[in-house]
Amino acid sequence: MEKQQYEFIGKQFDIKNIGKVTGKELYSSDINIPGQLYAVVLCSPYPHAEIKKIDYTEAEKMGAICIGPDDVPDYLYNERIVSIPEKTYRDRTVLPKDKVRHIGEAIAACAAETEEEAFAALKKIKIEWGKKWKPLIDLDEAIKDDAPSIYDCVYLGEEKVDIKNNIACERNIDVGDIDKGFKEAEVVVERTFNTQRIYHMQLETKSAVCVPEADGGITVWTTSQGIHNVRILLGNIFNIPLNKVNVKRITLGGSFGSSIQMNSITPICVALALKAKRPVKLVSTREDDIYDHSKYPLKTILKIGAKKDGTLTAAHCRVWVEIGGHNIQAYPYLGCVAGWFASLYKWKNIKYEGTAVYTNKVPTCAMQGYGNPQINFAVESLMDILAEKLDIDPIELRLKNYVGKGDEFWGQGPTVRSIIRSCGVEEMLIEGAKLAEWEKRTPPSKKKGELRRGIGVARGFHTSGTGGPNPGEVIDYSGATIKINEDGSVDVLTALMDHGGGTWDAVAKVVAEVLKVPYEKVGIYNEVDTRTTVFDVNTHATRGVYCGCGAVKFVAEKVKEMLLNYAATLFKDLPENLKLACNKKLGQAVIYPREIPENYMTLGEIAEHAHITSWGAIAYTSTLRQKNCPPCFITHFVEVEVNTKTGEVKVPRAVIMGDSGTIINPDLWEGQIIGAFSRGLGFSLLEETKYDLNSGGLECNGLITDYKIPTTVEMPKVDNIIVRSAHTYEPTGPFGAKGIGEAALSSVGSAVANAIYNAIGIRFYDLPITPEKVLKALKRKEEEEKESRRRVGDKVD
Amino acid sequence: MKKIEIEFIVNGKKRRIFVKPNDLLINIIRNDLYLTGSKYGCGIGECGACTVLLDGEPVLSCLTLAVTVNGKEITTIEGLAKGDELHPVQKAFLENGAVQCGFCTPGMILTATALLKENPNATENEIRDYMRGNLCRCTGYVQIVKAIKSCVAEQKSD
Repeated sequence: MEKQQYEFIGKQFDIKNIGKVTGKELYSSDINIPGQLYAVVLCSPYPHAEIKKIDYTEAEKMGAICIGPDDVPDYLYNERIVSIPEKTYRDRTVLPKDKVRHIGEAIAACAAETEEEAFAALKKIKIEWGKKWKPLIDLDEAIKDDAPSIYDCVYLGEEKVDIKNNIACERNIDVGDIDKGFKEAEVVVERTFNTQRIYHMQLETKSAVCVPEADGGITVWTTSQGIHNVRILLGNIFNIPLNKVNVKRITLGGSFGSSIQMNSITPICVALALKAKRPVKLVSTREDDIYDHSKYPLKTILKIGAKKDGTLTAAHCRVWVEIGGHNIQAYPYLGCVAGWFASLYKWKNIKYEGTAVYTNKVPTCAMQGYGNPQINFAVESLMDILAEKLDIDPIELRLKNYVGKGDEFWGQGPTVRSIIRSCGVEEMLIEGAKLAEWEKRTPPSKKKGELRRGIGVARGFHTSGTGGPNPGEVIDYSGATIKINEDGSVDVLTALMDHGGGTWDAVAKVVAEVLKVPYEKVGIYNEVDTRTTVFDVNTHATRGVYCGCGAVKFVAEKVKEMLLNYAATLFKDLPENLKLACNKKLGQAVIYPREIPENYMTLGEIAEHAHITSWGAIAYTSTLRQKNCPPCFITHFVEVEVNTKTGEVKVPRAVIMGDSGTIINPDLWEGQIIGAFSRGLGFSLLEETKYDLNSGGLECNGLITDYKIPTTVEMPKVDNIIVRSAHTYEPTGPFGAKGIGEAALSSVGSAVANAIYNAIGIRFYDLPITPEKVLKALKRKEEEEKESRRRVGDKVD
Repeated sequence: MKKIEIEFIVNGKKRRIFVKPNDLLINIIRNDLYLTGSKYGCGIGECGACTVLLDGEPVLSCLTLAVTVNGKEITTIEGLAKGDELHPVQKAFLENGAVQCGFCTPGMILTATALLKENPNATENEIRDYMRGNLCRCTGYVQIVKAIKSCVAEQKSD
């Protein structure tokens, strides 16, 4: 491991978030343009119905500008263009042309002088519905031969694909010889697991503001994890040259994957603005937002084989995902689920079969993990079951089989393969066990009383980005412009987004570290857009630090080179004889001939000199593709307390170990881990967007009154949540760093379920583990025990 | 609908504006006064992102009719700092990593200042209980509770 002392990396600075504590930070919904109209969207009340005619004459008589399906281009697109075109399914238009496929799907929209007037106009829109179908809610119903077709055909790239049995896509992967693997096994375990749909519940509802420009172009502020993809899509949909579509980078009020794709409301806002020839602002209501996106559910049948000593020999994994009314990213999702599964343990022989199915529900998309927490729940639960069957400690079984340093892994799916170069798995399992007092853990049979405590362990990982030695199915590169101002301060222009996890702080620290400029002199301002930045694919796939900052470091080093070359002319020396250092007293970077620090010039002086002698700007622009996507690992030790009277599960204590290589932002790194833990508790214990089977609507009706997420009181107390970092260094990462974001969530649900088993001896296979399910299971267990006691009694008699 | 003139103090300044009887305070604050620090998160009083202080008490501006603030004093997040000097709670949020996306932060900070005014020696359990009406999806709350704890005058265990 390379150990280095950094001046800025790993240090804490507060100034970047000052706008967020003073109310000055602007989000898309805070943008106001003089003369703007307010837009609202008409959402479908039916889950699957033919649209015959939309008449908005009455609404327009009220002064509103309206759009319906005939007002939007016929252009068929996929809102997520992170995958390469030939692997991208296209099934939608801005507004549906023929029929609606889920309740809440936008069918028309109005813009008026006030939001109130827009809503009043919306009520005047008349829709003539044609055939209505019973909603397909369950996956099993949707694939039946007599189920109504949600789509007849869609496009995969430029190729037309017929849809049969509502199967959106499939993905099968074989490694080794599965039959041979199971023949070698001495123990085989198989179970079925289900994880549910949940809602992202990002605090900011999706919003957009669009200004139509005089030259036929548009300027757009919108909730997005990647502004350049929004630019490309809007240009393509509305046939506007890509240099005339300018998308502004603006702070995100949370996202968790819900804005990797261009949001459905963004082109609606644009279509209204183009028609009105005036600025339009569209802020989704919370109800519309819940009906807009959902986390992917997953049904998994997992079978694993092992030798008696715990050596794994084979795994057969079958998964089904129902994706709702649009295919946003099901194909790469199935590939990634395969990767999360295959790269967690050395199964040796693998058979993977994945199927994605359309239903008449809210379209699903990535939500922190992209299938990882879902499949991790199956794998880590089954590893515990196997450990018990083999009578091996769960930690020992994991240590024996994990994929680690030197191993090939393909976390991002079968086309992105690379070798692991840094791994803290062993350290995290061993040190975490000590902190969690694992050795004091007792079996469920020893627990008595109303409140029963249990400890569970689970581990996971996520890739840092999607890069590989060869480009795969996913587009992955980032870029930046870095320039030195005449006073030695620095501006960084990058399209890289920050979800709030500290990506921009990391950018500033990386630049400060390379250029030795004090952190507060590195500006990474919000007033950039697609016109002033080079491409950045998206802040998704836990790539912000590893890929985004990787590119920033690359560009900063080029600027450093320029700077030293120019300084060499001033010092009349060779660049390699000069040293760049941070002089904290002066609050400046300085350059001096090596060994003669007193002969320094400040960066300000050098930049000023370059300016007045017309030498030119010290600035550089470029992009970088990372050729690896190192796994960041996580290990969760969770203690639960199960109330056997109420069925309620509390989490009094947790030990979380993370491996992100060098930690750039310690406070926000910890914050991401704890935040993910909270969302993981929601996923494992509380949340589910349930549907009414007849109406096809959400049982919560889109109201968060009936969709509970964790609050302060569901979390362990401050001193009872211990977060520690492994001591690793990633040689391919910027200053040794890897990601954390999605890894942090991957094994929360699994650890909670394993802890509940340790507390009450009941294994849960379906999330969320609600009090109702716990009580029902306890009752069943009690009856079974009574029955077996009775049988034993019979025999004695 | 006939507009009614109301007068109130917002962040220390007297304002007179005309509002409709059904105008919600959040819309007046955000759209008419351009104080966009107060956020719309749900519109039904569930998330706390729109919290403002009304005569020092935290209220949900999405459930408050604008006409009812006539003659009263409102503090929004923009009015909490004294000039360039941040309020101790604002500072504590920055120092404890209690801010991520920042969308819940204004409501969180205002609720926390009300809590500390009511109960300057609040214990951790009292903080957790008081803050449970403000939702945050990013931080997992622990660093928020830690930040508020750091502002408590006299640390007491529960």
